Amino acid sequence: QSPNPVQLSGTVTSAADGQPVIGATITLANAKNVGAVTDPQGHFTLRVPASHGPVQLIVTFIGYERKTINVPAGQTQVDIALGENTKALNEVVVTALGIKKQRKAVTYAMTEVKGSEFTQAREINVADALTGKIAGVNASSLAGGPGSSSRVVIRGNGSFGSDNQPLYVINGMPIDNSTPNVPASGNASIGLNADRGDGIAGINPDDIESITVLKGATASALYGSRAANGVIMITTKKGVKQKGIGVDFNSTLTVETPSIIPDWQYEYGQGQKGLKPVTQADAIASGRLSFGPRIDGANSMQFDGVSRPYTAQKNNIKNFYRTGTTFTNTIAASGGGDFGTYRLSLSDMNNYGLVPHQQLNKKIFSLSLTGNLHKRVTVEGYAQYNIEKAVNRANVSDAPGNPNWGTYMLANTVDVRNLAPGYNTLTGAETLWNPSGFASNPYFVVNRFVNNDDRRRFIGNVSVKFNILDNLFLRGRVNHDFTDVGWTGIVPTGTAYAPKGFFQQQTNGITETNGELTLNYSGRLGKNFTLDAMAGGNQRKAKTNNVILLGTDFSVPNFYDPSNVVSLTTTNQNIRSAVNSVFGSVDLGYKDMLFLTATGRNDWFSTLDPRDNNIFYPSIGASFLLSEAVKLPGWINYAKVRASWAQVGGGTPAAYVLTQTYSLVPGGGHLGQPLQTPTQTVGTTSGLLNAPNASLKPYTSTTYEAGLEARFLGGRLSADLAVYNRRTTDDIVQVSISPASGYNTTFLNVGEMNNKGIELMLSGTAVKQPDFSWDVTFTGSYNKNEVLKLADGLDRIQMDVAVNSYAFIFAEVGKPYSTIKGYKVKKNAEGKTMYNKANGFELTTGLEDLGTGVSPWSGGINNSFSYKRFNLSFLIDGKFGGHVYSGTNLYATRFGLHRITLPGREGGLTVTGVDDENKPFTRTFTYNNDLQAYYDNYKFQSERFIYSSDFIKLRQVILGYSLPANLFSFAKFQSVSLSLVGRNLLILHKKAPNIDPESTFNNSNAQGFEMFGVPRTRSFGLNLMVKL
Amino acid sequence: CDKGFTELNTNPNAPVVPDVDYMFSQSILKGNYVYDRAYFYTSYITCGNYVQHFATAKEISVAGSGDKYGVYDFYQSFYFRYTYTNVLTTLRELIEAAQSPELVNKKSAARIWRVLIMQRITDLYGDVPYSDANKGLREAILLPKYDPQEQIYADLLKELDESIAAFDESKLKFGKADFLYEGSIPKWKKFAYSLMLRVAMRMTRRDPAKAQQWAAKAIQGGIILDEADQAVVKYSNGPQIYNNNPVAWEIVNQDLQRGANGVNNTEWGKYSKTFIDYLKNNNDPRLSVVSVVWNGATPDNTPALQKGMPNGTDGKPANFGTFSEPNPATILQYSAPLIVLSRAETHYLLTEAIIRGWASGNAAAAFKTGMEAAMKNWALFGAAGVIPQASIDAYTAAHALNTGGTLDAQMNQIHTQFWVASLLDEQEAYANWRRTGYPVLTPVNFTGNATGGTIPRRLPYSVPEQGINKKHYDDAVARQGPDLLTTRIWWDKQ
Repeated sequence: QSPNPVQLSGTVTSAADGQPVIGATITLANAKNVGAVTDPQGHFTLRVPASHGPVQLIVTFIGYERKTINVPAGQTQVDIALGENTKALNEVVVTALGIKKQRKAVTYAMTEVKGSEFTQAREINVADALTGKIAGVNASSLAGGPGSSSRVVIRGNGSFGSDNQPLYVINGMPIDNSTPNVPASGNASIGLNADRGDGIAGINPDDIESITVLKGATASALYGSRAANGVIMITTKKGVKQKGIGVDFNSTLTVETPSIIPDWQYEYGQGQKGLKPVTQADAIASGRLSFGPRIDGANSMQFDGVSRPYTAQKNNIKNFYRTGTTFTNTIAASGGGDFGTYRLSLSDMNNYGLVPHQQLNKKIFSLSLTGNLHKRVTVEGYAQYNIEKAVNRANVSDAPGNPNWGTYMLANTVDVRNLAPGYNTLTGAETLWNPSGFASNPYFVVNRFVNNDDRRRFIGNVSVKFNILDNLFLRGRVNHDFTDVGWTGIVPTGTAYAPKGFFQQQTNGITETNGELTLNYSGRLGKNFTLDAMAGGNQRKAKTNNVILLGTDFSVPNFYDPSNVVSLTTTNQNIRSAVNSVFGSVDLGYKDMLFLTATGRNDWFSTLDPRDNNIFYPSIGASFLLSEAVKLPGWINYAKVRASWAQVGGGTPAAYVLTQTYSLVPGGGHLGQPLQTPTQTVGTTSGLLNAPNASLKPYTSTTYEAGLEARFLGGRLSADLAVYNRRTTDDIVQVSISPASGYNTTFLNVGEMNNKGIELMLSGTAVKQPDFSWDVTFTGSYNKNEVLKLADGLDRIQMDVAVNSYAFIFAEVGKPYSTIKGYKVKKNAEGKTMYNKANGFELTTGLEDLGTGVSPWSGGINNSFSYKRFNLSFLIDGKFGGHVYSGTNLYATRFGLHRITLPGREGGLTVTGVDDENKPFTRTFTYNNDLQAYYDNYKFQSERFIYSSDFIKLRQVILGYSLPANLFSFAKFQSVSLSLVGRNLLILHKKAPNIDPESTFNNSNAQGFEMFGVPRTRSFGLNLMVKL
Repeated sequence: CDKGFTELNTNPNAPVVPDVDYMFSQSILKGNYVYDRAYFYTSYITCGNYVQHFATAKEISVAGSGDKYGVYDFYQSFYFRYTYTNVLTTLRELIEAAQSPELVNKKSAARIWRVLIMQRITDLYGDVPYSDANKGLREAILLPKYDPQEQIYADLLKELDESIAAFDESKLKFGKADFLYEGSIPKWKKFAYSLMLRVAMRMTRRDPAKAQQWAAKAIQGGIILDEADQAVVKYSNGPQIYNNNPVAWEIVNQDLQRGANGVNNTEWGKYSKTFIDYLKNNNDPRLSVVSVVWNGATPDNTPALQKGMPNGTDGKPANFGTFSEPNPATILQYSAPLIVLSRAETHYLLTEAIIRGWASGNAAAAFKTGMEAAMKNWALFGAAGVIPQASIDAYTAAHALNTGGTLDAQMNQIHTQFWVASLLDEQEAYANWRRTGYPVLTPVNFTGNATGGTIPRRLPYSVPEQGINKKHYDDAVARQGPDLLTTRIWWDKQ
């Protein structure tokens, strides 16, 4: 026997898949106080006291069979494979700050989705692909065209002042997710009203190993103020130790077509008052009016002075939009050895959108490295570089510069293709097709407008870990995310509403840098207790540098450069902020059945008054394994209950809002004199002023949650249930104040909002045969949101307004956030419609509630089947209980395209009811007597265009075939699979006519407006995955 | 843990200290047309259509609300929503920064300029926030109370009086930062007395005694009578939008459009038939200065071709292109001057004061000088605005004041000329028309109008304001009368 202690080391792996088992406990059979825990690579090192021999090790880990191993004397290395124990759940999950934990010890709700879920049937923005997959996560993609932003809201909107979107984190460190341009819902006079994407859109799905969603505040308490709305953590793929180089190739080609073709009326064609246009002027005057006579096929004058047959044009949507295509290729090489691992990936995504001339290209390069520099020092690094180019992003919502508006609203007997090329080839002037220059010619827009951006992004992240002792390590991490966006928007010479044009150019440099240092301890206290502790600090710096050029009046037509405009102003914005933090957490485990977690974080904010600029957030949670503590019936294999409480502060004020500043007006002043003005909310041109308030502090979001996780029937069925109550207090509300105060708004710490809800996930294996299996996963959630308080004397805030003030979105006390309001048709006490005696139109009420723009119910069911080498999966999802105000249906009614305008075309429409004095009233509208005006007046009756936004969609279908490897033995393929994929294939249920109810066009807090977005698409294609 | 945070949170793009001169320049430049669209929404589409200088064929619910007496909050509340914030806050901050006795002249000029703008606000809406206004930052008054217009008027007069008295030649003056008078104290005094006359005369119906007292004081103090003393802001043709005359810029860019050639005006606006008919029927030499009809791509100012579009026109008429609109060679030049207060106006008000016996002098001569001034002022717009002396003489001879007529008849003559002369200054034209009732305009009675077919007497309060500042809004409505287009404001009450 050796007089010295023996050092014994080794690796614990899972017998099932060979993956390392992390957190397994190794103890000496005859000395329980000697032990070790495996690290993230599954390694352990144990010092066996000299007095002890022969060595017998006991290896335990939840979810695995307990194993006893005899180690012969002299052996210092032992590799152990653990067999799975079906009795309990074995899972290690990544939690806040990248800390790995056993699932059983997690005291809050979290959901993990494997990266492979996003790589076959793709969305261009990976966040859009979360739809229907995670209970409590409300992901909506926008009708903004390819590459537009996403809106992801976890457990409801919590705040008035922040964007309510989660914090995105890559490999434990936060990244930027700002949206450079949010399209306006109201009138957009200049017309450059396109969504230009958000930060998360820059992540390549092929680089994602897994996405973990931390829903509750307990989970996010460690990330501080920005995590108040939850955290989406992305772990990137890494190389593995192997012989040679592993190569993965993934290629997807999809084609896209509009998912909905509106069902307009095709009985009466272009014209006014039942008459066909006779002259060209008539034809332009009625260019968007389908109030003509019955469609008869005889010739009629059109906008261009050409007479053509008066026939229904049902294919205008199909004829204007092209079939979109998206072709994505990713190739990745990976490998590793004792030195470490690497993975390099190159990806190219090329999209030709539905809108002619719209194009988006993304190239993403990523490199992931891990290195074992020393037996106690490991390094991990991740770097990503994006080159993205978008051409002609489509403007949405209001008519100016929006190619979708005219395409949908063109009179129903005019072929849209006759509007091409949209301009006079000699003069460049836009071809008018309707009397308003603001309703742009779609071909003019796609051929002449410019809406291009170039984006470069670098994300780099390095982590160095130093194992001071076996169970104590120090880790330093640095993350840098830099995005540079160059955007040019041109309203060209010849535009009807701006004949001399507008020039806009922006350069946005967005930087976020985080440095973090943590000390981590993991050990045991006696026989029954485990203790994990962590303490650390983080420094965050954020910087946005914007240069904004605005110009008007091009001198030389069709030449677009700042030198060519008559009027040019340049505005600089350098927005800097920093947050310094210290934080810590303690996890205590008792006998693998009871776990307690406590965290605390203190943040110091640069954007707060130095006299009071720091906040502390605590959290505490517990999880209890019922299945370990008591004997449960045999069919319950695992049961865990959890509960937690947490506070997170969020929504700190923006930089520089504490004191009044005085901006110089850019552009050189007037007659040699400089000009200066109190700083406005956006530079010197918005005309809006915010009264500074130096006493702001972040809001507090307090969450209670409880949950239950269980596995039944030998693991065939599992369930995860969560209930939560999240209350935001002292919310920073940007309150509209009387402009007569000299300011439009001020920030006050007064708001309160509550979200409570329930989330359920069930998954099970319905059939498990050697050749055939069927797995089902169901997720469902309900969130009840209520605005509790805004400010003293203030019970509602207008959040948004539709074009021409036809409808509004409010936050109002006692109601859900994003309440759509508008006008209803007035009824008397007996429920009879009331009419205006003078004109015969319906009287309307004041502003009334019409519904909420945020669906409280959502859910999804995914079925996947595998039969031999085939697999088939389909995801059906739905949202319920929300509403949408449809601008498309409104305008279609005003212009006589909508079927509701059919009554009365022949013989007149008689309305009956009462007048404003409650006397019987009746009036007949005919073509010659205000019928058109009657239908046009529906625009003031907002309730006519409010629809339930409920839907059930066949969201995703994948039919795959895995080719036998021996077919390709010559090329050493490990695997080849080919899949037919489809996204958004069918709408199985909806109530909103003529539109896809998911057609909101911006990712702002004000949800609930639909209006002339880029048509939502159904896509189908082919995916090829090759591994060698 | 917060080292360097104060410095980090200091805005590098804007100074923390205001410059009194630069802020004053901005206040004058933005002037009474405070913000983009203020001229278009308030003056052109609304007041200008009410007084039938202009006509707009668009629908009553939107851009035709002024032409057809509809309610459209977005346009009608625009002046309220943007003036306090964009000009009065600037003035408030600069007055705060000019508390030193050395800066008394700068402070006085700012106070006088504030009177002009404040009167414009109250003349549109009636009772409005005044004593509590612009105190959102320093006094944290977020919801200011509304003051009765009578009290506002009293304070405007007091402000003018005090500011005039406070001028001190020995102290610092604005130089070129003052776009009106380059700091000249005598000229500022004349401007202030002219404003005093304007304010005073507005009260003739409601409080004649006070009107007389202050009008007499103003005339004695010395109002603007010479061309050199007129309040005129000069503009250049670019390079920035704010260097352009806001009247020209707004009319062109919001409606007439370069290249629209009278056919593709985006809001379907033209001169009103009422206005063009009056000029034509009176052989007014100003007709060819202010008005053109497009012949293809050529503007034609031949008087015989001029034709106004009737107010109340429903939809863009087929012959839209044949109607008259402002002359690109004068009014629509981006470098056109903006006349804030002209000696034509002062002479017309002086004529009225003489007739009323509130001032001494020759009413007929004052009236004739006013007409001459009104016509000669077009020469400030360049060569195309020059009217031959012979034409001026012929016109003044044909329109001499009928000093033998009744007060009403003479008021009709004076204020019809005022109406012609105040083309472009639509807010003043509308206020003066409401006060005097001249010229007699025939209202339109369009389906769905909000006034029962009468020309509106005021603009409704801003709809968002009604919710935000409800208590004070309710108080004002309770005092003034229902918040309607037809409710008369204090000085307009019968």
